[in-house]
Amino acid sequence: MPSDTNIYKPIKAKVERVIDESPLIKSFVLVPEHDFSFKTGEFIELSINGYGEAPFTPSSSPLDKKKIEVTVMKAGYVTEKIHALKPGEVVGVRGPFGRGYPVDKFYGKEVVILGGGCGFAPIRSLLYNLIAEKEKFEKVILCYGSKTPEDCIYKPFVNELRKVERFEVYRSVDKADGSWNEREGVVTVLLDDINMNISNSVAIVCGPPVMMKYGTLKLLEMGYPETDIYLSMEKNMSCGLGKCGHCMMGKYYVCKDGPVFTFDEIKDQPDIWL
Amino acid sequence: MQDSFQIKAEDWHSFLLDLSGDNTVYVPVKTFKNLDYKIFTKEIENIVYNVAKPVTPLKNFFLPVKENVFNEKKNNNKQIIIGIPSCDLKALEILDEIYLDNRYPDPFYKDRRKRSVLIGNDCFKISDHCHCNSYGIEPYPVEHADASLSQIDNTIIVSINTEKGKELLNQASAKYQVQEPQAEILKIVQERRNEIKKQLTVINKTLPDYKTTGELIKKSDDDIWIKHSRTCVSCGACAVICPTCTCFLLIDRPDFEKVRQVDACQYPGFERIAAGEDPLHKRFVRFRNRYLCKYVWKPESFNSIACTGCGRCIESCIGNISKNEIFIEMNTAAQP
Ligand SMILES: Cc1cc2nc3c(=O)[nH]c(=O)nc-3n(C[C@H](O)[C@H](O)[C@H](O)COP(=O)(O)OP(=O)(O)OC[C@H]3O[C@@H](n4cnc5c(N)ncnc54)[C@H](O)[C@@H]3O)c2cc1C
Ligand code: SF4
Ligand code: SF4
Ligand code: FES
Repeated sequence: MPSDTNIYKPIKAKVERVIDESPLIKSFVLVPEHDFSFKTGEFIELSINGYGEAPFTPSSSPLDKKKIEVTVMKAGYVTEKIHALKPGEVVGVRGPFGRGYPVDKFYGKEVVILGGGCGFAPIRSLLYNLIAEKEKFEKVILCYGSKTPEDCIYKPFVNELRKVERFEVYRSVDKADGSWNEREGVVTVLLDDINMNISNSVAIVCGPPVMMKYGTLKLLEMGYPETDIYLSMEKNMSCGLGKCGHCMMGKYYVCKDGPVFTFDEIKDQPDIWL
Repeated sequence: MQDSFQIKAEDWHSFLLDLSGDNTVYVPVKTFKNLDYKIFTKEIENIVYNVAKPVTPLKNFFLPVKENVFNEKKNNNKQIIIGIPSCDLKALEILDEIYLDNRYPDPFYKDRRKRSVLIGNDCFKISDHCHCNSYGIEPYPVEHADASLSQIDNTIIVSINTEKGKELLNQASAKYQVQEPQAEILKIVQERRNEIKKQLTVINKTLPDYKTTGELIKKSDDDIWIKHSRTCVSCGACAVICPTCTCFLLIDRPDFEKVRQVDACQYPGFERIAAGEDPLHKRFVRFRNRYLCKYVWKPESFNSIACTGCGRCIESCIGNISKNEIFIEMNTAAQP
């Protein structure tokens, strides 16, 4: 963002398409009024005219400057209004904000990604980025968990991902039904199934707070160094740019210093798992 | 730059009247028990310099309580703020670090800072909870003011510190009689400064310094916070009136407009996230948060201090809570 712009003023974006991902999650393809660049893991503030604003990490490819896709779980006041959006309606977008994934630090390594629920959103954006440069990584392993088979999002994307060479996909659900032929159990059980060379690997975790906590603990137990575990933190936010104070997590402003942190950076701060 | 002059009080006020045509001039005015900034007019009475301290913290001149931050209004009017205490000038350091950072400078804050001329003043009379000197701040302006002022009887002494101050205040000599400050008046100023520093040292003799306070807070257990936050009603007065507290909430208005409104971590729900989880749900945790922020976290990520010892949070607390009593209690308990 150029420094002479009004940091509080959103640009307009038109809703082009609405995709039902699961009973509680929908994706929205937005076409901003002018080109919009972001790095994977950075976030935007999406506003519903006159109603409210909330932070979301785009789930689309950072290479696409014409469109931004966000995947939104219905969780309260603003997200409910977002879920009611129809194609053609206009929303406001501020950003991009924050510090995303340092993809160049993953070059030459095995990348293990642990995702849960709506935490797949930033991860899908990251995966698009990794796919575009796939020869730069040893391999990429996605472990994704959700509550039930019907809560699994991005089904077509997952099918495509399974076909990409060097990429492996593992999924689990907390509660399986007859249709499910993958793993059952909390997402961390998937880490028992995979094969990786921990000394040349980084781990990325994104999901609900409990999942982030147990995921991180398990990775540490497996021998991942604290500096190689990347977490995407969720906090209350208002401004998105390090001023309003709502997102403070100890000495950090999560909006500006994060939302992506290594475990090493945040381990001594309060309430990281809430 | 260090220029100074002395001028008769009547002439100074005539000069302010001249300035108030094109600019908004604020002066400290006493009403009942309180001192606060008022816009200078011909009829104004009870201007009182060199007394601690205006109720309104300096930050409000740059960060109004509520402001539409969508439309940038063009306004070239200068605001000349007279009678700022040293503690409030010091507080500008953290405000500038936050609001004028390289990546996301705030255009509204920046504009107001640019349009302001800051004239500080000595504190010759302190209030009960002033503790600037405990945190390494002198009770007279040293930094960040374009000029500063002391009144001795009917004489006003003005010291100029910046080009901006010079440009404005040199106009006084064109119309009014000004002269180099007399040595005996400067001597009185110096004596009063020394006397005030002595008073501050006496009233704060058991108060730990800024850094020690941070260390004590880090080591503190929940009990002391539970005890002292019992009468806190989460009104947020301490934060709203604090010259270094800068939290706000953006509110949405039709046509995608945004209004920035003062907010405080002392209000319930300040950090609540969607699932309803709220790290500051408990009152004592919320209460402690403000001091962790000021004495532990801000010092880790900023170069400036986040409490300047103005004492306003103590004076404004309807629950009669004094942060200084807490820190003195911690400090005493930590002594061998
Ligand atoms: C960096 C980041 C990235 C995120 N990415 C995603 C993502 O990709 N997908 C996703 O689904 N979620 C994401 N989230 C979470 C998402 O932002 C929250 O789910 C969303 O903010 C919930 O808003 P809500 O208003 O619906 O919920 P609510 O629970 O109603 O409110 C949440 C917050 O808004 C405040 N609030 C509520 N009502 C009002 C009001 N009337 N006025 C002012 N404030 C009010 C509450 O105090 C609370 O702080 C992300 C969060 C962060 C921090
Ligand atoms: S914390 Fe209290 S004493 Fe310190 S600057 Fe703020 S209002 Fe003044
Ligand atoms: S704290 Fe110090 S500088 Fe501030 S008003 Fe009191 S005496 Fe003056
Ligand atoms: S969201 Fe405002 S400071 Fe982070």
